[in-house]
Amino acid sequence: MTYLLRRLGFYLLAAWVSLTVNFVIPRLAPGDPASALQLRFQGRLEPEALLAMKQAFGFVEAPLPVQYASYLAALLRGDLGISVSYFPAPVRDVIAEGLGWTVFLSGVSVLTSFALGSLLGAVLAFRRGGLMDSVLPPVLTFLGAFPYFWLSMLLLYVLGFSLDWLPVRHAYADHLEPGLSLAFVSSALLHAFLPALSIVLTSVGSWVLSMRSNLIATLSEDYVLLAAAKGLSPRRIVFRYAVRSALLPSLAGFGMALGFVLSGSLLAEIVFSYPGQGYLLYQAVKNQDYALLQGLFLSITLAVLLANFLVDVLSFVLDPRLRG
Amino acid sequence: MRRRGALPPRALRAPLSPRALRAPLFVLCLVVLAASLGCERERPHFERGVAVVLPTQSATWVRNFNPFLPTQARWPTQSGIYEPLLIYHTLEQRYVPWLATGYRWERDNRALVMTIRRGVLFSDGQPFGPKDVVFTWKLMQKYPALDSTGMAKRLVGIESSPDEVTFVWDEPFVPGLYFVGQAPIVPEHVWRDVPDPVKFANETPIGTGPFTEVRSFKTQVYELGKNPHYWQPGRPHLDAIRVPAFAGNEQASLAMIRGDIDWGAIFIPAIDRLFVAKDPEHRGYAFQQVEGTVMLYANTTRPPFDDAEVRKALSLGIDRRRIVSIAMQGYTRPADASGLSDFYRRFHDRALVEAEGDWTRYDPAAGEKLLEARGIRRGADGRRRLADGSLFEVDVNCVVGWSDWIIAAKLIVEGLQAMGVSAKLRTYDFGAWFSKLQRGEFQLSLGWSTGGPSLYTFYGRQMASATVRPIGQAAEYNWQRFASPEADRLFLELAKTADPAEEMRISRELVRLFVQSAPAIPLFPGPAFGQYTSRRIEGFPTVDDPYVALAPYKIPGFLLALVELRPRGMPRRPDALGVFSGTRSMRLQSSGAQP
Repeated sequence: MTYLLRRLGFYLLAAWVSLTVNFVIPRLAPGDPASALQLRFQGRLEPEALLAMKQAFGFVEAPLPVQYASYLAALLRGDLGISVSYFPAPVRDVIAEGLGWTVFLSGVSVLTSFALGSLLGAVLAFRRGGLMDSVLPPVLTFLGAFPYFWLSMLLLYVLGFSLDWLPVRHAYADHLEPGLSLAFVSSALLHAFLPALSIVLTSVGSWVLSMRSNLIATLSEDYVLLAAAKGLSPRRIVFRYAVRSALLPSLAGFGMALGFVLSGSLLAEIVFSYPGQGYLLYQAVKNQDYALLQGLFLSITLAVLLANFLVDVLSFVLDPRLRG
Repeated sequence: MRRRGALPPRALRAPLSPRALRAPLFVLCLVVLAASLGCERERPHFERGVAVVLPTQSATWVRNFNPFLPTQARWPTQSGIYEPLLIYHTLEQRYVPWLATGYRWERDNRALVMTIRRGVLFSDGQPFGPKDVVFTWKLMQKYPALDSTGMAKRLVGIESSPDEVTFVWDEPFVPGLYFVGQAPIVPEHVWRDVPDPVKFANETPIGTGPFTEVRSFKTQVYELGKNPHYWQPGRPHLDAIRVPAFAGNEQASLAMIRGDIDWGAIFIPAIDRLFVAKDPEHRGYAFQQVEGTVMLYANTTRPPFDDAEVRKALSLGIDRRRIVSIAMQGYTRPADASGLSDFYRRFHDRALVEAEGDWTRYDPAAGEKLLEARGIRRGADGRRRLADGSLFEVDVNCVVGWSDWIIAAKLIVEGLQAMGVSAKLRTYDFGAWFSKLQRGEFQLSLGWSTGGPSLYTFYGRQMASATVRPIGQAAEYNWQRFASPEADRLFLELAKTADPAEEMRISRELVRLFVQSAPAIPLFPGPAFGQYTSRRIEGFPTVDDPYVALAPYKIPGFLLALVELRPRGMPRRPDALGVFSGTRSMRLQSSGAQP
């Protein structure tokens, strides 16, 4: 139990550090939100209007410690400020709109990728030296080495545009109202297919390779030999003993991947015009939208920390050594 | 050492081997197959009477219909949900009366009297009248953040009578017509109860425009239904306009090419081959050169750029034809020495410009001669030196990521280097670039130009001494810091006259002055681009009948198109109020239908 408490303490510290970094980094970047505001207006705004606009946005000149204090205080209240690029929408609302879709898309693709990759890895480990084992890893490595942007564009062009099999944009058909109807759910699944496929294709390779090598190493452990000698069924040996420990190294990586779910689908969302929050991040950086940037980083940071904590808990369950 | 052959896996392999794993894999494959083939193919869903328009690109939409926040409000808030008093018709170079039926100048051109149209209703059925116009302007005076053109603060009086609204300045200010005429008018009975109009997202707008009813609003698409009380009888012909969100140009281009979008503003390269050729009968596009001219600004506070002859010499070294064909893909034309785009066509007189100066032609030899004459000579290494012996080194500033401008800037640098000038391209983030430009901390820099339809604003922002700020202080305009007393005198005259002939005479003087003194180095007019597919929707401005600029983002001109568009096959309803009378569309009314 002390193990879990220690981890929890560590995560709280990490959360504070990242919040602080989150505050500092945007302010170190070149340019400032006021000039970004001007960019949006491209000379169509008179100076007085701009000044009044800045006040409305809350660009008050204050010493950094004061800004920092009010930043932390506002965070505690759950107030993330007003977005410049989506003025006057509060950052909380802007993020909330995209969050669900991002979690859905990347969650599904990361889980699929991990499950499929580990399964394939296990198969390859069993049949190592076989035809599948000699063909699949190089092909997957090759796919994984493709620039994501290029591969997704190719998928979009071939499967979506030329063959016209799958919808190429948005999270659901434009004429549907979100709800729990069959039409909406199937439309959402269909729309997520291409972006999810592109993410899975580029990421599945690493899971396959890591599972394959982990399992091969595990299968040559003495305890597996012992289990076989005891006459346990092969299936029981593999699933209760070998896979369980071969999964541990992958699990740490899975925690990271899960944490990056919120930011990781940025490219997919841009290529497939998927209304998630990855694109918001890009938009926020471009517009020096401090408030939105901080809000997004906050959600990403918390997601990474939370995912890692969950993985810690999971390893605690899977790995008896930690319980000792 | 562990012997591989004796490993348990070999024993394990047979019983477990693929069979156990084959089942889940097989199911997975089935699911994939079902998803890709089994499901009914989803086609973009079109409804008759709904036009899909793509005026601008954004990954997600946030619901905001506040007409005073021009860049935050969703299209077509400024002219579509709300409407202006007058519409400046960029192609015909004149005002089309809209919520006003006419205007006149009084009190030695200090007072502008707008006659307000009768019988106009807001979308909630309440009548529109002069009180709403007065309220809108007083609101802008009260909240400077809403006064994006800065015109409300210059007004000393806004008076109303049952049919008219009078705008009063403390001195004659005829160029104010544009700013007064273009402002969207909001209903008093709604906005007087808004606590903070600057932060008001106006999610359910009430306006006089053709499309006011928010039928649905989602992050990826929104749809506006037609105003049930629209004041032009029988119009708009469309039931609704739908605006989808696109994060990138690639996606938008594919959708446009596939025909999923009826009316778009997308930069498509090789548009004839990629877009029009797929359906030549129904597709068209326009690149109208009615945006501001892109300029190369020379900081006139720094020698030798204070010398007009040096600026002209540098200009002679720029191959604008190459810039236009490479950086702009041929979608515009080289600018001439007046710097006037087609937005100012009525003032443009080619003979006059060419007589006064042809320093925008590509003639490096002439440029070099001019530099020699100003004492900027080539040294032994072939590089030019200033009279004091120092190298003539020039930085050309541009913005990171603005690829068309960067290509243009590279070609400029090449041209200058060929003349022996040690030129270098410097790219900055927008913020840094703009701050340098505004503060006058640059030598040469690319930049845009802006202005209303009078040269008072366009040239005023290039050479009026009132716009000059000291170095180090941010200037809104006139970044080159060029002032001309003669121009100031002409601007004063221009502000006073409402007589078209007199306006033309003064404007020609200003053109002459600009060409002679080269306050900025014009490169090319900015193109306004738009394209359409008329398979489902017709009535677009075409090459044969360009009744308005095709670009769906050109505020407020596209209003004229919004009320003209109709489902294919629907007869065009007559323009009962004669709003279009006098425009080229008259021809259409007599023939009844668009060819």
